[in-house]
Amino acid sequence: MGKRTQRLAALIRKETTQLLRDRRTLTIIMTLPLIELFLFAYAVRLTVDHLPTVVADMSMDPQSRSFVNALVNSNYFDITGYVASQADVVRAIDEGRAKAGLVIPPDFATRVERGNAEALVILDGSDSFSVSSGYSAAVAAGQDRALGLATEKARRLGIDLKITPIVASVQLLYNPSLNDLIFIMPGLVAMLLQILTVLTTAQAVVKEYELGTIEGLLATPARPLELVVGKLAPNMLLMLVNLGFTTLVGVFWFGVPFQGDPWLFAWLSVLFVASGLALGLLVSSIARTQREAQQVSAMISLVSMLLTGFIYPRGPMPAAIRLVGNLIPLTYFIRIARGIITKGIGLSFMWTDAVALVIYGVVILGFAAMMTKKRLG
Amino acid sequence: MFKRIWTVMQKEFIQTLRDQRTLRIQIMLPVIQLILFGYAITTQVNHIPTIVADQSLDAVSRAFVDALTTSGYFDVIAAATSQAEVVSAIDAGRAQVGVVIPPGFAAHVGLDDAQVLILVDGSDLFTSQSAYNAATAIAQAHASQIVVQRLQRSGQVRPDQSWLPLDTRVRILYNPDLKDLWFLIPGMIAMLLQMQTVTLTAAAVVREREVGTIEQLLVTPIRPAELLIGKIAPNMVIALVNMLTILGMGVFWFRVPFQGNFWLFFALALLYVFSGLGLGLLLSTVSQNQRQVQQLNGMIMVLGLLLSGFIFPRSAMPPVIRLVGNIFPLTYFIPIARGIVTKGIGLAYLRNEVAALAAYVVVIMLLATWTFRQRLD
Repeated sequence: MGKRTQRLAALIRKETTQLLRDRRTLTIIMTLPLIELFLFAYAVRLTVDHLPTVVADMSMDPQSRSFVNALVNSNYFDITGYVASQADVVRAIDEGRAKAGLVIPPDFATRVERGNAEALVILDGSDSFSVSSGYSAAVAAGQDRALGLATEKARRLGIDLKITPIVASVQLLYNPSLNDLIFIMPGLVAMLLQILTVLTTAQAVVKEYELGTIEGLLATPARPLELVVGKLAPNMLLMLVNLGFTTLVGVFWFGVPFQGDPWLFAWLSVLFVASGLALGLLVSSIARTQREAQQVSAMISLVSMLLTGFIYPRGPMPAAIRLVGNLIPLTYFIRIARGIITKGIGLSFMWTDAVALVIYGVVILGFAAMMTKKRLG
Repeated sequence: MFKRIWTVMQKEFIQTLRDQRTLRIQIMLPVIQLILFGYAITTQVNHIPTIVADQSLDAVSRAFVDALTTSGYFDVIAAATSQAEVVSAIDAGRAQVGVVIPPGFAAHVGLDDAQVLILVDGSDLFTSQSAYNAATAIAQAHASQIVVQRLQRSGQVRPDQSWLPLDTRVRILYNPDLKDLWFLIPGMIAMLLQMQTVTLTAAAVVREREVGTIEQLLVTPIRPAELLIGKIAPNMVIALVNMLTILGMGVFWFRVPFQGNFWLFFALALLYVFSGLGLGLLLSTVSQNQRQVQQLNGMIMVLGLLLSGFIFPRSAMPPVIRLVGNIFPLTYFIPIARGIVTKGIGLAYLRNEVAALAAYVVVIMLLATWTFRQRLD
């Protein structure tokens, strides 16, 4: 037993030395998640307001002007120019000068009086976020204005018209002010860590194959299991420090509220990083060169970004695609991270995901061990 | 000179073709990615699992719930009795939207002070956006409908008379049905082309350096520039094959319309490929080994994804961040790709974008050859 611990300690020392010697790689690993967190925090705006808008106001009467003002006051549209016709509006959007356009036909005031006025909002459909923000903003502003005009008219006719028999207050739980970072942070941290874990693990092992040093290691008295543990322990520690640090920056620098139990999060993170290592090991048993390891990892990263629910919701995906997402540990951990960080719920609400993560880790590790044995055998 | 380039090119092509496995991955990767994107990405979410706590259970409250469900956005999966139960269902992730209707709803509607609470799971981005917009719009429309019915019953408005004096229509250019894939295909082509060219170029050069064969190549009469051109030729061919694959699959399988001129697109894509090659070379000169190349490249990919406008609109970013986005060739090609594929506009409208891309290619190529030469001395 003493011998085994000694061997393991020696292996861990070797790996740690190797890890610490490659300063540049270490720096990249440690700073990458931070840089990306900062970029996401400052770069990503999911609700797009102040869309550059051109106006073709063919009436130029008080009614049309107040309608334009209503749109501007919604803060979603910034008037960048006036043009003469609908064709000019389309052209401005074609050229990319504007993302939205407003067309008000002639005789707007008279038509409002008669009750059949029409206005047209045109949106640039080549930019997804601008369109969805612009669409709801335009519809809401238009309807608002119409209701305002109707009440005004009714009042002149002597009818006391209450336009709000029902007030529906729509509340966003966990994220009442629609802070983009609250959506992104838990998933982003988890995703980056998984990408790094899988990649560094796979590359460290494959490098050993490529250089032929694995034969040397196998010739030592160390058993394969000890080799694996020795190899992975420093990496796992590094990733956990990384995960913890990035989370702290998210919470304390960017003020993303951490609602749940930090210790629960820490324990489940260990589970998550371990499953990432197992996946990396599996990749290493399949890939022959570092280049291949890198390509397989890139594929896993892409799948992680798309299918785990990090950005795009898993609900509407076809069942087969959802199944592919289940092959990635991130899928389980994103729900856990959001649950603990954003929702502040406890283990009783998400034990299924925790159990899934454990089963996943064990299965993948077993699989990786089998494949590695075959490869070395 | 051409003979020398030709010789290097032959060597590179032989090397590329020999590594069948890598080649297969390179050709297949975009296909897999497109399939994932095509089936995985949904940003307009409907059929959101909804739990209802209807404490009135009268005709008016039922009509309100019906208005929500018939929209197709909300699927009622369970009934609850209290608000706490609704929140708990959202906590557990069983439902993503909850509707709470307080007792005496019909009476309150009569008194014009009815209230409804709609709770939306704010931990999932697109779902909460869709749910929020849909719930607000439906509630508003339902309220106006009640007002109209009331007016008609009181005989002040004839049933056939339109009640709202203003009708705002919203038209979405280029992508009227807001199909997610239509937004994505042009950007994906741009992203994959950048990814392939940058990675392959950087990896090829660094590997040559790692193995030490670059010294041998340099003692031959070949000049650095000739060596580079020869080296990147096979990558260019692979990148173009990838582009055609995505485009073909996008247009014929996923039915994304190609509005513009194909040859214009092809010519500009060729120009764009050079920018990726330049960036890849630059990357190879600042990295010491394949691992670093890969890490830097991973960073470029993520940054490109975030800052180029591929997913998140650039117009909403702060100026400094937008400036950082200018480092990536992707940023210059996305407006061109969207312009030609989605909008169907020609060179006259794209003058500035094309000029920017050309300037980028010149600058990056000069920078790359310069640092490459420095590094070799």
